[in-house]
Amino acid sequence: MSHQDEKHEILELALNFVGLNHPFSRREFLLISGVTVVGISALGAKAGKKIPLIIMDKAEGIIIADPTKCVGCRRCELACTEFNDGKASPTMARIKVNRNLNFGPKGVYTGQRGQGNWGNGLITQDCCKQCPHPVPCANSCPNDAIVVQPPTNARVVDAKKCIGCKMCQKACPWEMMSFDSDMNKATKCFLCNGTPKCVEACPAEALNYVAWRDVTDKVPPRVIPTAVIPTEKVAACIQCHKK
Amino acid sequence: MAKIGGWVGKVLRVDLSTGRISTENTIEKYKDYLGGTGIGYKVIWDEVPMGTKPFDPANKIIFTVGPLAGTGAPCNGRTAVTTLWPTCWPKPLVASGHMGGSFAAELKYAGYDGIVIEGKADHPVWLSIIDGQVQIKDARHLWGQGIRRTTIEIAQQLGPEASVAAIGQAGENLVPMSVVMNSFSHSAGGVGAIMGSKNLKAIGVHGTGSVYIAGNKEEWEKIIKLHLSLLGANNQHVVPNKPQPWAEYYHPGSRWVASSGRKWGAADPAIDTGACDPHNLHRIAYRTNSAAYFLGADAWQYTVRGNGCSSCPIRCHTMLKVPSAASKYGISEIGQNTCMGLLFGRVFFKPPPDGPRGQAAIEACMVGMSLADDLGIWCNYGQLQRDFVRLYYNGTIKSKLDEKEFKSYSWDKYEKDDPSFLFELLPRIASKEGELGTALGLGTGYMLERWGIPEEEWTKDYRLWYWKMGHPKHHANEDAGQCGVIINTQYNRDAQCHSHPNFTRNGLPIDVQKRLAAEIWGSPDAVDAVSAYTPMNIYKAKMAKWSLLRKELHDSLSLCNWMGPWVASPLKERGYRGDDSIESLLYSLATGDKKSRQELDQVAERIFLLHRALTIRDMGTKEMRTRHDTIPEWVFKDPSGKALYTKGTIHMDKEDMNMAMDMYYEEMAWDKKTGIPTVTTYQKLGLGKVADELSKKGLLP
Amino acid sequence: MEQQETICLAIVRIIRERSETGQLAQPKEILAELIGQGLLKSEAGDERYHFETVLKEVVEKNEDIKEISGSDGIPCYYSALSLSETYARILIQKKENPLSLMAEIVRENSSIYPRPVPLDIFKESPFDFTQGELLVCLKKMAEQREYQDIAQAITSIGTIFLYSTQHLEPDYASSLAEWLDVGQVNNP
Repeated sequence: MSHQDEKHEILELALNFVGLNHPFSRREFLLISGVTVVGISALGAKAGKKIPLIIMDKAEGIIIADPTKCVGCRRCELACTEFNDGKASPTMARIKVNRNLNFGPKGVYTGQRGQGNWGNGLITQDCCKQCPHPVPCANSCPNDAIVVQPPTNARVVDAKKCIGCKMCQKACPWEMMSFDSDMNKATKCFLCNGTPKCVEACPAEALNYVAWRDVTDKVPPRVIPTAVIPTEKVAACIQCHKK
Repeated sequence: MAKIGGWVGKVLRVDLSTGRISTENTIEKYKDYLGGTGIGYKVIWDEVPMGTKPFDPANKIIFTVGPLAGTGAPCNGRTAVTTLWPTCWPKPLVASGHMGGSFAAELKYAGYDGIVIEGKADHPVWLSIIDGQVQIKDARHLWGQGIRRTTIEIAQQLGPEASVAAIGQAGENLVPMSVVMNSFSHSAGGVGAIMGSKNLKAIGVHGTGSVYIAGNKEEWEKIIKLHLSLLGANNQHVVPNKPQPWAEYYHPGSRWVASSGRKWGAADPAIDTGACDPHNLHRIAYRTNSAAYFLGADAWQYTVRGNGCSSCPIRCHTMLKVPSAASKYGISEIGQNTCMGLLFGRVFFKPPPDGPRGQAAIEACMVGMSLADDLGIWCNYGQLQRDFVRLYYNGTIKSKLDEKEFKSYSWDKYEKDDPSFLFELLPRIASKEGELGTALGLGTGYMLERWGIPEEEWTKDYRLWYWKMGHPKHHANEDAGQCGVIINTQYNRDAQCHSHPNFTRNGLPIDVQKRLAAEIWGSPDAVDAVSAYTPMNIYKAKMAKWSLLRKELHDSLSLCNWMGPWVASPLKERGYRGDDSIESLLYSLATGDKKSRQELDQVAERIFLLHRALTIRDMGTKEMRTRHDTIPEWVFKDPSGKALYTKGTIHMDKEDMNMAMDMYYEEMAWDKKTGIPTVTTYQKLGLGKVADELSKKGLLP
Repeated sequence: MEQQETICLAIVRIIRERSETGQLAQPKEILAELIGQGLLKSEAGDERYHFETVLKEVVEKNEDIKEISGSDGIPCYYSALSLSETYARILIQKKENPLSLMAEIVRENSSIYPRPVPLDIFKESPFDFTQGELLVCLKKMAEQREYQDIAQAITSIGTIFLYSTQHLEPDYASSLAEWLDVGQVNNP
């Protein structure tokens, strides 16, 4: 069976699975029902590694930060890794404050004219935006290791699948991916199953966990992503989006 | 054995003379000394022989932190800096300074529990630490620059997350009254010139590693939350400074100043601090505003926010934005510091016409911070300023300076409390320019000697606060009667111990304090109401011992002694009780080395004892009671002639203090006559070898 | 009975909500609220009696609901979940007799901590005296016999403190005022 046929077969299964047997185009179907193709991997044998994972479901919540209240204590970073991973590791923290703490997001070349402790005092806390489709980190993963985790639908690294290639680190425009060098696995904000530890830890009420909304077009990127999207996923994008 | 956490395993050794860089195993070599001052005193004892002088290459400067540094334990951002102290008079002895900021955490993440620096580089250098990569780099382009520029240039190389501890021109010029500073406003006093004498301009650290918690992470989370729940405001003051809806008690002198209507006025937009119920752990950072506490209500409008050390929710530094200071004096709009650092500029002057808490005072503080924190000048807990005021107004300065130099200062500006005078004075202290600049930078002891002023003139006058050996009192009888006096006799610089005033100033009614005191030190008689002192008793001696040991413990674990211990809390449901075993709970879980409160206090006692042994060895005397543990005359005099034990006086009774020292030495199991530890005491605390060495020199009782 | 239960819950909620905003709940305010919610029909007669019975029950059955009476004997209510007894007492006296409130605060501080109280504290919340009101109180305290124990201490920077001679001797009060105003800040 050709690759294309395999895909078709899987999608037919998916449509059956949700009780529909209607000749919608794949794209129309997905748009109308919001069914995520993520579910396909749960179908078992038919779903092989070659079938790409595309996250469609939106997250339920997002962490929103207020830089005018951040006091630079970094307890959010510490709570994230100590309470989740048993070690204090700000480099690995899934909320990122230290990189903006002293000089602001534009960095040290702003001297005392920027933000942060050396500038005007504002400290930008970088949080994962739990991107809507297309999810850059998930799409860049060659092993489909970034998945949606109910009930929050946070975009989460499945450590069992992560091969430690670090492609996702290059994909995020806001440099929000972390890497656990002890485990050799990527990691990212998973909203702590609905009660984010960073939000709980903040002594200045500078973090809030709120209903998800799309902030990807409201926050300037930190870097230009240099990840490569695996070809299977490229193919899937084209399949899904063409008429 | 369970895995070891807390410590990251390596102490960095840097010899600037040879350029040799090596590491030691922290746990193998120093576990019994924890970290911080524990390692500091151990290194000095083992490796720096008696007779070494502070600026000798053989002196070592030891930057060490403890197993809790870099973790999520509240208030762990402290680095201890141990060395032979250049302002200690007449003979330099071991002492330690401390700096907050981000340095302690960053050093741990780079993989080090400490850095021991010895020798002297043959040209200015800075030490670069990026995780395992340690290099001695050329600092000739930085030499002559202030702390600010130095920090930024090093951050350009190491990245914006780097922590940079740098000296200013004062340290470079071997001015004893100098500091090392990191994170904009966090300084360790007294040590800048030691770095300068080694041609070490700065240490820049960037670390991407981790500090592991040995214990179960859910347990750790629980203990952290317990600790947070017991926190008060700065200095562990546990009641607000005026009635709040939730509060049973309040205290106008409390540093818990948050209230509805009091705003961080220069935040963008302004933020109301609100009632800050102690159960709301999300508002801990709003409780304290050091600028408002020290500089009055006017400071609220200039407050951008709080700031402080990594991991600490208290934020005892205040970031101020004062445009008028910028436009009048050409300094930055933004200044930040706490306590003495905040007051540096104002206390050079007599209080301005609008009072010590008005607009003029705030501007003077801004100028002071802007200059002193860049030049890197130390205040010696305000002794620099007190000496200056006295020496000017009693005509000494005029008599000691030649006419040309005297005329080169705008004394009319000084007498008018014009802060621009500081632009003339402070740079000259930093560059040892002229007789005045040189003398003031020496520290009180050496300055008095240089100018032929007998020390007695300082020890008899309470207004100067001078205690002994070139340094002032630091929370003595005014705060805690006999307990405070005992504590102030024990060190080779100002005592820097806050265990006791944190308790006596916590704002609780005296009956509640006494009830807590009974639980902690054995009797309600351990504490008196302020300036209503009663005669000495054994419980006050226990409180003094506890205060000292906990200070050393905090300085060795990396916990902030300006916040701890946490024996009182703001929680009515706990009877305002804190938890006296917080330190041991945190230590045991983080490191995996289970120690009870008593066991950990024993380690603290070992560390304190080593400091004692070092002092005895380097003074070369057994007579500590009479030659070291001295109390200045002014402590025994009341300026208005009130009788002893009258309410309203804080002066002490000589006989009573003699008894106090007796009881203290007994509590410590030291020889009462001389005040030196016995061989049994040394051995009991695992310092048998120390006792042997002292025995050889005839320095045991 | 059901009605009673509903009214109980409503009263508890009203008291707690007012406490959360830093205020006491007066009976007439609670009554008006209940009428507004349609749970009671009028302020008088049987309804009134019913209300007062339920109110008593609310206080008995809810540990956090407290009653506090001013000197006029009329009780007010608050929830200890939000307000301390200290604060509630300030609120209740503030309305009826600011002079006696000031004296009580001064005496209480002089007795339990013990320490004098800065005059300026009365200008801030929750006291909120105006400058004029403060001066009137000071004058009355100097004149009226029952306030003869209230005295002033002035610090070296001119701050006025009040204390009660019933609990603090003048020398002691002066030195404490100086410590609070000048000493603590100068010993940072």
